[in-house]
Amino acid sequence: MDELNLLKKLERVKAPPDFEQKLLAQVSLRKRKKLRVKYFRLSLVGAFSAALVFFIVMNVFILPKKSPVEFADFEKGFSSAFQRGKGLRKRETIPIIEAVDYTGEIRTLSREPQTIYLLEQVFEGTSTEIKY
Amino acid sequence: MDEQELVRQIQEGDEMAFVEIVRIYKDRIVNFLCKLTGDYQKAVDLSQETFMRVYFKAHQYKPVAPFSSWIYTIASNLAKTEMKKMRKFSFVSLDDVQNTLPIEAYAKNPSESGMISNLKKALNSLHPRYKIPVILKDIEGFSQEEIAQILKRPLGTIKARINRGRNYLKKELEKTSYKENSFVKKEECQNG
Repeated sequence: MDELNLLKKLERVKAPPDFEQKLLAQVSLRKRKKLRVKYFRLSLVGAFSAALVFFIVMNVFILPKKSPVEFADFEKGFSSAFQRGKGLRKRETIPIIEAVDYTGEIRTLSREPQTIYLLEQVFEGTSTEIKY
Repeated sequence: MDEQELVRQIQEGDEMAFVEIVRIYKDRIVNFLCKLTGDYQKAVDLSQETFMRVYFKAHQYKPVAPFSSWIYTIASNLAKTEMKKMRKFSFVSLDDVQNTLPIEAYAKNPSESGMISNLKKALNSLHPRYKIPVILKDIEGFSQEEIAQILKRPLGTIKARINRGRNYLKKELEKTSYKENSFVKKEECQNG
């Protein structure tokens, strides 16, 4: 095939004379750039891990020492327990007794003024208490 | 020094070994990329990028294949990407494109025949899928097995692509020579 012989005859181009110098300059430039990127990544990782350590330290060693109630009271500034230097026990139960007037609830209200109504708790479960 | 030894030294960060590799391959790579892209300046830029990759990715080279295959793989991949970009932005027919190569880029050959310039045009209009194997085979002198290794394609595929590429070039050359002949005959008839 003639065209194949012609392909071989096609003149060969050469690299410009300053090819190596330019290449080495580019290599050193990219090296510096890579180094900068590496330092930037390292500093990012460092900053992130420092933030993580700070967060862990805050959560493990500082914040859990106070119960939520104490912490809330502390924020308000009137926690007597905290002021005394004693923290409340963890998960302390505070019973809440509400005064409820049931007279409005009873439809067949007797007219006799001295009638005593005994109100029983219908629900058999124990009274709920709010735990803080 | 053996090429494998040079690459091993580059992997250790030796710049002198890198310069030696550049000296060995620069002309071959520039020529290969110039034939592929048809643009000397682009070929030089891509060659620089090829060698940069050789330097920075030397640790990825495994001596199971010859170093030349590896460097040509890098170069052809870069060229393929570049040609894709060129096709994306270029809508001009390849026949209308003037040869942009500077004169000094070629070895000066005043007796360059019309056949060779036609061949260049035909080569430029060839799809990269066929152009790369044809150039590697007929200009760079690689064997079909080596080309299969460079392009990471089965041997059968490479054989078929080389064959199709050559046939295309042949047809294009025949077409242009027929056009030229008919033009000459017409002129002769007009002159009487």
